[in-house]
Amino acid sequence: MIEVEKLRKVYAGGVEAVREIDFEVAAGEVFALLGPNGAGKSTTVGMLTTTVRPTSGTARLAGFDVMKEPLAARRVSSVVFQEAVVDRSLTGRQNLELHARLWGVAPASARQRIEELVEMVGLRDLVERPVGTYSGGERRRLEIARALVSTPSILFLDEPTVGLDPRIRAELLDVIFELRGRDGMTILITTHYLDEAERLCDRVAIMHSGAIAALDTPERLRAELGRELVELRVDGDAPTALASLRSRGIARENAFTVGSTVTVPLNGHTSSEAIAAIQELGLAGALSARQPTLDDVYLRLTGGRLVEAA
Amino acid sequence: MTALALSPLATLARRRFRLTAHTPRELLVPLLTPIMFALVIAPALRTALHTPASYEAYVAIGTIGLLIPLNTMFAGLGVIVDRESGAQRELLAAPVPRALLVLGNLLVALAITGLQVAVLLAVAVVRGIHFHATTTGVLWFLAAASLFTVGMYGAAEILASRVPKQEEYIARVPAIAILPWFLAGALFPISAMPNGLTWVAKFLPLTHGLALMRYGLLGDSTGLHNIWGMSSPSAMAGLSIGVVALFALVLGAVSIRVFTRAALR
Repeated sequence: MIEVEKLRKVYAGGVEAVREIDFEVAAGEVFALLGPNGAGKSTTVGMLTTTVRPTSGTARLAGFDVMKEPLAARRVSSVVFQEAVVDRSLTGRQNLELHARLWGVAPASARQRIEELVEMVGLRDLVERPVGTYSGGERRRLEIARALVSTPSILFLDEPTVGLDPRIRAELLDVIFELRGRDGMTILITTHYLDEAERLCDRVAIMHSGAIAALDTPERLRAELGRELVELRVDGDAPTALASLRSRGIARENAFTVGSTVTVPLNGHTSSEAIAAIQELGLAGALSARQPTLDDVYLRLTGGRLVEAA
Repeated sequence: MTALALSPLATLARRRFRLTAHTPRELLVPLLTPIMFALVIAPALRTALHTPASYEAYVAIGTIGLLIPLNTMFAGLGVIVDRESGAQRELLAAPVPRALLVLGNLLVALAITGLQVAVLLAVAVVRGIHFHATTTGVLWFLAAASLFTVGMYGAAEILASRVPKQEEYIARVPAIAILPWFLAGALFPISAMPNGLTWVAKFLPLTHGLALMRYGLLGDSTGLHNIWGMSSPSAMAGLSIGVVALFALVLGAVSIRVFTRAALR
């Protein structure tokens, strides 16, 4: 449904925001671009929605080339942008109707669809009010409803929960979760929140500095680090500590350091074996054993903790 | 333009009209200064300087030359608001040709300008100013006013696409909307100015627009003669309408291109 080949964007001034990325998203799949601010996620969505001009490469939505057939590509897709993109002085309903008309939805269908969506996102009591009076979460829900009015084959959600407080974010994630599998819609979501990617997505592409560093299901990405790992904070030099652990055969190539923290996937060792070896070397400050997360995957691939970088 | 394109164009124009209706200043502010001219300044000049009644009619037309640029420049502010805090990106992601985004705004600018010009002329008539318009004359007037509005809206759209902030936009409005008005024969014939400025005025689209509007509504071809120096009023009007049409065509086309390029990153 989404095909991206060697897609590249260099902004004026020579900043290469996206570096010849390739990926495909199947029909009905929920796919995440995961990475910190500046990783190139929003630029990628911009190119796919034809609001950013690619420097080179190709991208197709439902078979339509975004450069050669932009109207057809836009007709099959909708987008919820990262920032607020609404007419604030118009009512919620007027914003929804505008989308319906521009996407060519028949008036009767549009009316029915708007009623359903207003109910779905819980805006029944607000929809006749100017959008300028909405809270951030309400406005976000309106934008999601708006994007769905035209029943798109492909929905882009660009950082849909950024800037929202935790309660509203949780409510919005419920709304987005409900979209999975709806009308066979393909969803591409960008986020820097790991829990969103894990909860919502079938596959995740981790972006770093404009490139895709890894792409797979969340389970398989985590599996690269085994079933368990040990994390220790050391007082001295972390790379030296890691080298010691490698020389003892406790750590392998997939172990890594960030600051004073050494993360060691166990790779078949037991945690007690690893902890004993660490204590024997006199390395441990704080020490814990746990299951790998996507954060660890990202950390290993990029050398920076995802949430801190965002 | 196909029927398929007309529907989104109507939708975009309706959106712009709704947004404008929520901002009464866009309707009223451009009207204030011209009405002041028609109701206060022209009668005061007549009283103080004993100008003939025809001078009030002359100034009434001249004020249209201020109303159109002011109104279109105010309309251009909407483009910046769309970009900074409005739905521009949603519109750019819509399956409609992007030229329609500009044309939708233009239609509303034309309609509102038309309404304001009508109010201005009605106020002038109520004030006792007499126009001597024939059907042909009204057509000349409408053509000149419409084409000049299209060109000025094009200038506003170009400026709005090029400058990043409203403050910068507003700072440039006087140079674009007001300065030419002093040179274009709005308050006095261009022949009254020093020779160099007269030549500058002949190149201003507003000079041609005002001369045509006076020719249309007052039957006075003096303005056209001051530009072309010919004896046939209809030939001179034809030449001037060509100038204003070229102005509208070029700025309209350039504004679409500039908007499309500037809106995409």
